[in-house]
Amino acid sequence: MEKINIPIVDNLFPSLVIGTRILLFGKIFTGRDAVLPKLVALIENNKLDETGIDLKGAVIFHTAVSPAGVGPTSSNKYDIESTIPALSKAGVKIHLGKGRLSPETIRTLHEYHSIYAVIPPVTALLESKILERRVAAFPEEGMEAFHQLRVEGFPCIVAAAHGKSLYEEGSESP
Amino acid sequence: MNQNLNDIQLKVKEALIRASTVFSADKKSVLSRAIETEPSPNVRWVLETILENADTAEKTRRPTCDDTGIPHLFLEVGGQNSVTPDILRQIYQGVAEGMQELPCRPMAVKGSDVQRLEQSMGLFDDPAALVPAPIRIQLVEENVLRLHVLMQGGGPEIRGKTYRVFHQHKMSAILDEIVAWAIEGAGLLGCTPCTPAIGIGRTHYEAAALMLEAMIHGRFDQQNAIEQEITERLNQSNIGPLGLKGQTTALATFLRVGPQRASGVRIVCLRLCCCVEPRVASVLL
Repeated sequence: MEKINIPIVDNLFPSLVIGTRILLFGKIFTGRDAVLPKLVALIENNKLDETGIDLKGAVIFHTAVSPAGVGPTSSNKYDIESTIPALSKAGVKIHLGKGRLSPETIRTLHEYHSIYAVIPPVTALLESKILERRVAAFPEEGMEAFHQLRVEGFPCIVAAAHGKSLYEEGSESP
Repeated sequence: MNQNLNDIQLKVKEALIRASTVFSADKKSVLSRAIETEPSPNVRWVLETILENADTAEKTRRPTCDDTGIPHLFLEVGGQNSVTPDILRQIYQGVAEGMQELPCRPMAVKGSDVQRLEQSMGLFDDPAALVPAPIRIQLVEENVLRLHVLMQGGGPEIRGKTYRVFHQHKMSAILDEIVAWAIEGAGLLGCTPCTPAIGIGRTHYEAAALMLEAMIHGRFDQQNAIEQEITERLNQSNIGPLGLKGQTTALATFLRVGPQRASGVRIVCLRLCCCVEPRVASVLL
């Protein structure tokens, strides 16, 4: 397992090939269907700086944050997958979720030097690895607000990187 | 309120928490067997992590998944037992208390019809604001009043399908259709290995009800020939746990076939239960 501190620096990327198991340490953002399109709208209107959110080297985990805990939602839902290009362009380095992404999204990730990792749906385990949680933006969305978590060893596997994906025909999980 | 009604409330609350936090022994066994047979270290790690999560959830009484699901209630009544409005009220109260104590994810949507559909007014903070799906009551031969509590997550709903199949008087025509749907859904589900729950009936309502019965009564260690065939064909798809390839796309299949219509059509309801499902607990009231 490769340990990765957040924010992520670009020179880390050559080693993050598909099938690499990683543990994430530091502050990660969370967002899903309701809030990610709003975040993209902020970026497109040059208003992200007003929120104090810095996406350079960031990780965005596709999840709600509720008293029940956290766990990946399907990243291939329209409102989530459609935000990946703009968020990658804005500096997000790891999109963390579950499910197969389209070949077009995988190409876009490569273009912006971002990757996609999948995280097992293990809410009870993840709960023990969350040190802090706070709402970073859009509190009106409740559990779907844009949250920031401080985590210690979130486990995941790189599923799409450098234009390649574990979901392609012919690829095998290492 | 009399003692008996208080007991019902408590039993239902505990059943909801058990459904949300405990993997059955037969499910743990089938997961352990899959770990022994998968050649990929990454795939084995995923399966081991799912099992570790189940153990942690049971020990800590925390949900196995943050999408704690929509409560579905199935009540069996037999012998001299009866269902009264008071009993139904206590069942619903037990569900509400279970959702608060666990706690479940607060995901009841506020507003009018349009506002709820657009989710434009936000969510209720109280997990118990989530209204259970309509209860199903069934007459049984046993002298029991037994409640089954199911917690139905959103991912499997996205990948589920209820549709007609023209059977051409061949079981293979129905099976081919089910397997095609299941492979398509499993590839997008993310939370594999799945367990397809299938109901085949005369109407969409009946097929969906039979699918729920399949989730309640299905056993990972007791599979008939049709269930085995569906599981094996899904496992040949090489989708694997979390979509990372491998031999374990499905752990088992739960099938319930009801009465059939004199017609060339069968209504099939398929729900690809994710790796934490079926989340079901049964309790005698």
